[in-house]
Amino acid sequence: MSEFDAALGGFIISALRSSTPLLWVLLGEILTQRVAVVNLGVEGQMLAGALAGFAATLATGNPWLGLVAGVAAGMALSSLHALLCVGLKANAFASGLAVWMLGFGLSAFYGIPFVGQKINGFQALSPGALERIPILGTFVTQITPTVAMAILASPLLGWWLYRTRTGLSFRAVGESLSSAKALGLKTARVQALGILAGGAFSGMGGAALSVDYTRNWVEGMTQGRGLVAVGLVIVARWNPFLAIPAAMLFGGAEALTLRMQTSGVPISSHLLHTLPYLASLAVLVLSYTRANKEGGTPAGLGAVFSQSQ
Amino acid sequence: MNHPGKESIMGPCKRFLYSCVLFPVATLALLAAAATAAPSAEIKIGYIYVGPKSDYGYNYAMDQGRLYVEKNVPGAKTISFENVPENAEVERVMERMIKGGCTIIFPTSYGYLDPALNVAKKYPKVTFMHGGGFKTAPNLGTFFAGIDDAMYLAGMTAGAMTKTNKLGFLAAHPIPQVLRNINAFTRGAQSVNPAATTTVVWTGTWSDPGKEAEAANSLVDAGADVLTGHVDSPITYTQTAEKRGVMVVGYHADAGKFAPKGWLVGAVWNWGPMMARIVKSVQDGTWKPEHIRGNLQAGDADLSAFGPSVPQKVKDMVLAKEKEFKSGTMQLWSGPIVKQDGAEIAPKGAQLAMANLEGMDFFVKGVVGTVK
Repeated sequence: MSEFDAALGGFIISALRSSTPLLWVLLGEILTQRVAVVNLGVEGQMLAGALAGFAATLATGNPWLGLVAGVAAGMALSSLHALLCVGLKANAFASGLAVWMLGFGLSAFYGIPFVGQKINGFQALSPGALERIPILGTFVTQITPTVAMAILASPLLGWWLYRTRTGLSFRAVGESLSSAKALGLKTARVQALGILAGGAFSGMGGAALSVDYTRNWVEGMTQGRGLVAVGLVIVARWNPFLAIPAAMLFGGAEALTLRMQTSGVPISSHLLHTLPYLASLAVLVLSYTRANKEGGTPAGLGAVFSQSQ
Repeated sequence: MNHPGKESIMGPCKRFLYSCVLFPVATLALLAAAATAAPSAEIKIGYIYVGPKSDYGYNYAMDQGRLYVEKNVPGAKTISFENVPENAEVERVMERMIKGGCTIIFPTSYGYLDPALNVAKKYPKVTFMHGGGFKTAPNLGTFFAGIDDAMYLAGMTAGAMTKTNKLGFLAAHPIPQVLRNINAFTRGAQSVNPAATTTVVWTGTWSDPGKEAEAANSLVDAGADVLTGHVDSPITYTQTAEKRGVMVVGYHADAGKFAPKGWLVGAVWNWGPMMARIVKSVQDGTWKPEHIRGNLQAGDADLSAFGPSVPQKVKDMVLAKEKEFKSGTMQLWSGPIVKQDGAEIAPKGAQLAMANLEGMDFFVKGVVGTVK
């Protein structure tokens, strides 16, 4: 394998690996915002998922059960958001912030005994013969289950959202609650489902980070990735098919800042660390103006305040 | 009870008489007890950590010191608080400890200095020993140790073991203490393998496991076959190194259990004996508010156990150099010291100026990366 192949393959997998936790959360937040609810609590749900995933993997020795626990924890926490904003018609921003703080505090408190513990995560999938293929070789030898699953989840969700009846009901609720109600849809149920699905995906993102990516639990380890995902929803224009490029934009820029340093590019690291945010901001500005022209924003999101009456 | 009137007249007189007799007797008894029990009088010590004490990093090392004190100083009882932020919260924790009977407090994080000075002013009878600070008060001193000699020895091990001649260093922020470690590590590696270089990746934060994992991966992809780092906890990069099948040198504490195959050695703190001396000096009244600074020679910084892959020949070589450090024949920061750009900052035979050492802001030759 040539050095170039290894470098390019290495960069692609590195970008994907950094993007994976983000991609899970992004897919979840897309679903939630598709039913016209913003959930800022994803950061806290991610942390809950990361801790639950790590703890379950430690207890059972099985990283798959860790992922299941992560999904469950994310969902459990998001049910609070569903209860507050759908059940009690509370303001979604306030409720999201509450969920975030709760997830942060609870995971920090219950996470103390798990610091410094060792878990056995997934092995790389590494399908033997494929390793010799140029570029792809380096890529496949390092790919892990959560990365592969996230890549599959994006088109699957896209297909579901645009091609199935239940997907249509999500979109209808997101466009106009009153019209959806007039059509006979149980809007509160659909909105609650959208929030719970977002919780499941963000919990998965957290578990991917702790169980697979780092095999480590550290207080506050998501470091703002959940909130970044909330911003990237706009870049992905609420479209699951565009979630991979949107997440890769941030994750890829993060991987690039690290790789530029290892290849000895003489640029200030402080400057480099702003790159993921700058790149996302640039694309956000561009795509937002286009989204305004061509649509893509669930119309109900704009009516977020009138809905809570 | 039946004669309240009588009681009320007789009571005070009787009590006065009793106390006249009892007070001196009790005082004498207490003094006698104190005299006989003095060597093992109970002393309560409070430890405060900025992060979790099981992080296999800085806080873990400090907590190992606490356990040593509890075991080796007669009468020492300790309590500890972890994850205490560097703000007014730490003052509340200190006051709580003092109200709970603590007479010595170890605020171990750098950012605890000003809060500790505030609390020290309020409680002049309590002794404070801050980790790494540069200010003192009548009842506040500081302690710390230089670990760069141990880092040099760890670098020698890495330099001897690398096959690609590329070492990877994952670091949080370009501050003098971190730069000293990177430079010491590189000088150690180059002393046994002049072709070895250290590639530095800044993560920009003390704790972001996701970024640390990716930084470690990028270093491995760039050809590094020995990783080390200076972030809060070594767990993530140590595990990533093991996952990728490369070797790893630790920092802060022995994290060998996270890389059973790839672990080479670590530069670790050994705070126990220094803390025990401090506590004893408070007990016997010889404590002074000063800056206590330890090093490898005094045993405050150390090398961890070697991993299974390090051959005896390499171990012997490193341990021989350790003896030179301890006897004083080896000086880490003596010239010639050449900066990354080739400029000589300390000529042969001269020592690196104290200002350059304390405020280190450069890489030595052999480091790949930028300081800014």
